[in-house]
Amino acid sequence: MAFRAEHHDVLGDLMRGSLDHCVKCTICETYCPVSNVTPLFPGPKYVGPQAERFRVDDEPSADASLDYCSGCGVCTQVCPQGVHIAEINTQARARLKATQGVKLRDRLIARPTLTGRLGTPVAPIANWSLQNRMVRLLVEKAIGIHQKAPVPRFAGRTFQGWARRRSARAGPRRVAYFHGCGTNYYEPRLGEMTVELLEHNGLSVEVPKKQDCCGLPLQSNGLFDDARGYVHRLAARLAPYARDGVDIVATSTSCSLMLKREALEILDMADDPDLQAVAASTFDICEYLLMLHERGELKADFQPISETVIYHAPCQQQGHGIGKPALDLLALVPELETIETGAVCCGVAGTYGLKREKYDIAMKVGAGLFAEIADAAPDRSVCDSETCRWYIEAATGVRSVHPVEMLHRASGLSASW
Amino acid sequence: MLVIGGGATGAGVAWDAALRGFDVILIDRADLAEGTSGRFHGLLHSGGRYVVKDALAAEECVAENAILRRVIPDCIEDTGGLFVTTPDDDPAYGDRFLEGCRAAELPVEEIGVAEALRREPRLNSRIQRAFAVPDASIDAWKTVWSFARGASEHGARILPYHSAIALHREGHAVTGARVRNELTGEELDIEAGFTINAAGAWAAQIATMAGIEGVGVVPGKGIMIAMNHRLVNTVINRCTMPADGDILVPIRTVSVIGTTDIRSADPDELPVTQAEVDQMLDDGERLVPGFREARALRVWAGARPLFQDEKAEQVADTRDISRTHAVVDHRERDGVDGLLTMSGGKLTTLRLMAEDIVDAMCKQLGTERACQTRDVRPPGNEDGEGYSLGSRLRRREQTLQDEQLICECELIGRSRLEQAMRRRGSANLDDIRRSMRLGMGPCQGGFCIYRATGILHGVGRLDGAEAADSLSGFLQERWKGVWPILYGDQLRQARLDDWIFQGLLDVEHLPEAEEVA
Amino acid sequence: MSHHDVIVVGTGLAGLTAAVRLAEGGARVLVLAKGVGATHLGAGTVDVLGYAPERVERPAEALAALIDERPEHPYALVGAGGVTAAVDWFKARIAAGPLGPYQYVGGVDENLLLPTAVGVARPSAVVPETMAGGDLRAEAAICVVGFRALKDFHPTLAADTLGRQGVSARGLELDLAPEGRADANALAFARAFDDPAFRAEVSGQLLRRLGVEERAAFPAMLGHADPHRVWSELEERLGRPVFEVPTLPPSVPGMRVHASLRGELRRNGGRVILNTVVTGAEQSSGRVTELRTRVGLREERRGADWVVLATGGIASGGIELDSRWRARETALDLPVAGVPEAGEERFRPGYFDDHPMGRAGVAVDAELRPVDARGERLYENVLVAGASLAGAEPWREKSGDGLSLSTGYRAAELVLGASEPAGSAAGVAEG
Repeated sequence: MAFRAEHHDVLGDLMRGSLDHCVKCTICETYCPVSNVTPLFPGPKYVGPQAERFRVDDEPSADASLDYCSGCGVCTQVCPQGVHIAEINTQARARLKATQGVKLRDRLIARPTLTGRLGTPVAPIANWSLQNRMVRLLVEKAIGIHQKAPVPRFAGRTFQGWARRRSARAGPRRVAYFHGCGTNYYEPRLGEMTVELLEHNGLSVEVPKKQDCCGLPLQSNGLFDDARGYVHRLAARLAPYARDGVDIVATSTSCSLMLKREALEILDMADDPDLQAVAASTFDICEYLLMLHERGELKADFQPISETVIYHAPCQQQGHGIGKPALDLLALVPELETIETGAVCCGVAGTYGLKREKYDIAMKVGAGLFAEIADAAPDRSVCDSETCRWYIEAATGVRSVHPVEMLHRASGLSASW
Repeated sequence: MLVIGGGATGAGVAWDAALRGFDVILIDRADLAEGTSGRFHGLLHSGGRYVVKDALAAEECVAENAILRRVIPDCIEDTGGLFVTTPDDDPAYGDRFLEGCRAAELPVEEIGVAEALRREPRLNSRIQRAFAVPDASIDAWKTVWSFARGASEHGARILPYHSAIALHREGHAVTGARVRNELTGEELDIEAGFTINAAGAWAAQIATMAGIEGVGVVPGKGIMIAMNHRLVNTVINRCTMPADGDILVPIRTVSVIGTTDIRSADPDELPVTQAEVDQMLDDGERLVPGFREARALRVWAGARPLFQDEKAEQVADTRDISRTHAVVDHRERDGVDGLLTMSGGKLTTLRLMAEDIVDAMCKQLGTERACQTRDVRPPGNEDGEGYSLGSRLRRREQTLQDEQLICECELIGRSRLEQAMRRRGSANLDDIRRSMRLGMGPCQGGFCIYRATGILHGVGRLDGAEAADSLSGFLQERWKGVWPILYGDQLRQARLDDWIFQGLLDVEHLPEAEEVA
Repeated sequence: MSHHDVIVVGTGLAGLTAAVRLAEGGARVLVLAKGVGATHLGAGTVDVLGYAPERVERPAEALAALIDERPEHPYALVGAGGVTAAVDWFKARIAAGPLGPYQYVGGVDENLLLPTAVGVARPSAVVPETMAGGDLRAEAAICVVGFRALKDFHPTLAADTLGRQGVSARGLELDLAPEGRADANALAFARAFDDPAFRAEVSGQLLRRLGVEERAAFPAMLGHADPHRVWSELEERLGRPVFEVPTLPPSVPGMRVHASLRGELRRNGGRVILNTVVTGAEQSSGRVTELRTRVGLREERRGADWVVLATGGIASGGIELDSRWRARETALDLPVAGVPEAGEERFRPGYFDDHPMGRAGVAVDAELRPVDARGERLYENVLVAGASLAGAEPWREKSGDGLSLSTGYRAAELVLGASEPAGSAAGVAEG
């Protein structure tokens, strides 16, 4: 089916039209992590293809319960008929927010580069405050971020800063690194490890300057116009690399999904030429490393790691439709035992689990996963998305790392942990 | 007085007459609005369709559209309408259209094509002109029941499932009818000082019972297809001389494309042909490209009651028969007193039709009682806000945790179903289903019909055999409206429903059904 | 671009069966699917042959007769022997899987007669242990237990119908629900039954109300994580046979099958990618080399030596009929057999009539390779299994699970090179 190039209203055809495929089979409901733990959310079938038949753009949104959708996207994954349920829900939520207005809290947490820029220069104080019970209580009362919601620590420096200071290794096999806000402000060490690992494998890594947010949190919170602006700018930044035949890799699996698929489908930006170029050339880092391995270009002579780890594939990682390449990569590390979780979602869903009215739901969603981790008592958990890692670590007390960290270590590039 | 026919016409007459203080009995051989009224596309005409060819009809629509918005606001959704010049239409017609609208005092505005596409993104982007008019969509069933309930609040007796089997004549006057209660088989006589034949496409059959021949009613069969969701939220009309398939109406959760116009012999025999289906799909594609890829939900046929008195000239195309209505005065025409027949007309003018025929009745009776229906709201319109698509969704938000949802497609909760069962004591599951549109959403009853049958059986309203009958009956009735358009997504749904009803529940081998199948 | 030994397209019963058999046979398997398939929608039983068109008591015998009479029927591709082998394999897999000791009982020699949710006696060959107690060939009276919060199961209706078939039955309704919800589906109840406290409450209420000789029928929701324990505990507590009755989706027994097979697949190293639609293939010298796939708007390619197509036919969009009445197999554009010509009837006006379109599907030869109108093989390395096959109306025959299971199993066996071609020698042409 040809995709219509014209921009229309928020409720674009491609996603909304897929509601016709719904045969009401209830399968999406059996998987929805949110509706399975709370009756406040009527479920993806209800909120997506069913309620969509009752929505008219001109009328104010009728169903506030839709906001309990966490945007995890599992429903779209499992629907046997190909209904783009999660996408319909996200688009409907934007309509709802247009009616209801968007809270200050959501505007704030939807802009990680803003909070990053504000917090980095005063990192020690910022970190102290955000861990301080009283401050958190006040913040909860004032703007509605749950006092127990795990927030990351500012690193006090940026990954971009490091990238600008390093001298890049030139070479014929180039790759561009899209690091995302999480790495930039909170986990610059992960970015460094990624660069080192790629260089170790003979690639020349370029870190494009002035990378800003991918817009995903803005999209999740219904601020579509703002999200489009960010996507457009980021795509413009990265497009020259794509057009030069340089692959773009990302360690934040949710951010790369945004560029690969979600912005095109949900924000209706498939006709943005920069984004088209970027989407075709963007890879999740594990996807990319596995591709290298399949081509015989990965240095797979890993050192043994005598540990047991548990791997959780974030829902957004599943959204890539690439399987679980992290598992295949970890399987190459001698003596490493990797347990795959059966859980579908950890609960945080980006910014969802931070919100006062949703934190308890998020914790219930993740309860099964946390119990699995507690039972397995691994040395650490492995997960491709930073928000999930912070959440899982806070809930289980078990350190959570990106697969790259394991491979970095197994490549002999890091000292002991 | 006796009103024969419980569609829009009959209900409107009962309401009007009851308000004027007449003692009214209304009968219909089946449930109310089971005939043409229950099968129309839902368009409340602005009149634009008639401005060029049928000025009188246009003027009536303009006036009645405004009046109905005032008196039955909650039965009407103010969708607005667009007349669009498609690539197959002559742009010059648009000028005649504008002239005609002005002559009929129909509020019209020519808007730019870009604006039309902004309002309706699915519209054919190659349209050349667009005109905005006050079309709306109207819930016929709700309208009919609103008037009927109003009439009964003023003392009228509403008797569905009572068919007229003979009209009583005393000399040259009609004095009542013999009717049969179709549910019990019992026959009874109704004495009435006056009888109004509001039987629509069946009016000739009723007139014959009074010994009156040749009251020509031409059943004009029209098919309509409901599409699974609202492809448009404004009524879309082709800006051209009235043709087939030139209207797309957003009504409740669906959009309806209509319609054809084929002279039929029998208003009870209205087969849907493949050629008609294809034609409607092509017509839809002209208005909304990609129409053929969208999901068709249901197809049905209704019979327009077009009046063609055999005592007048023959007309070739049924569309050339005037769409306005006429009161057939049998005293003048046939020398029979106490009987008037309503012929022709459309749902948009139901109130006017009622006014005209009740006026004529008063004249014949020699009394003067003024019509009040221009200003009085019948029950069911207390909100006065107009129907909005999201209303059911909004209401459901309030009972999300407390009430079971029985029909999920149409958001019908359990208490609403039980309430309908209590209120309509004599009705069977079929009537309740039809009135609530249970099982008429995308899933075609795959889930809700078993639930509803189980609930009714559980509260003792149906015994096991009746439940089995009802289930099989539903499957057959639903199939009738589905098999001519069984392609694409609807075919997938039908397959799932086959798996549920046959594979899982095995209804084919229900003890009762085995005798029928 | 990735490469696997076998790509299986579809995660229904046919696809999962093929994938697990292949993976345990040592193949590197990737399963691609639009979603999770239809196991969540069926009864969870393995129906081999229920009606042909009269009610079948001995499916293996009836199967042999059916194949003789109708060599174009997809059962001809596997034969009674093929069905038996697949069934035995399935029973062993489930018993050894993550839900063990939950297991299936029965076989292809005799059909049980199980009540449906409207109370009809339905023939079924291989059923979960949790359902076998409902066999209507036994005389014992039945108390059908429902729950007010479960709108998908109506005990008195089922009991009434059973009564009209000469079975002594009555219905009763309990007012217990997970978290006191007013509206809970079978899965929510199944999770509640996993909780011993809920089971205790249910048993407590029922013990007071059950008659001495009655067996107890429940809607199919006796446990999600540990159905064996839930069911056996209830039997013990209530002191009588207890059995599940399949009802409207979501089908908990169906989900158990799915979870078991997915678990077995994972254990054997198979991989699954969802939300993927196959849109075409690259080929060379009569073999498919790569599949073209789409995730959302994004196109990908995947290489494989073998492809097993188990896309579910019309019900899932594996085969589509457009508004101009043209049929298309949507993954590889294979020819669809059994579709009436333009202008001919596709469906008849009576719902229970024989519909010309009913048996449309992909035509294959004796080794499950898709064939063209002349019966010529189109691809050497593509096999078709499950509901996409032409020649049957499984929902009427009650043969869907048997067909999917046996053809999925056979496809795997053929790829593994482990078995001789079975069934009739004649190629399968158009129906």
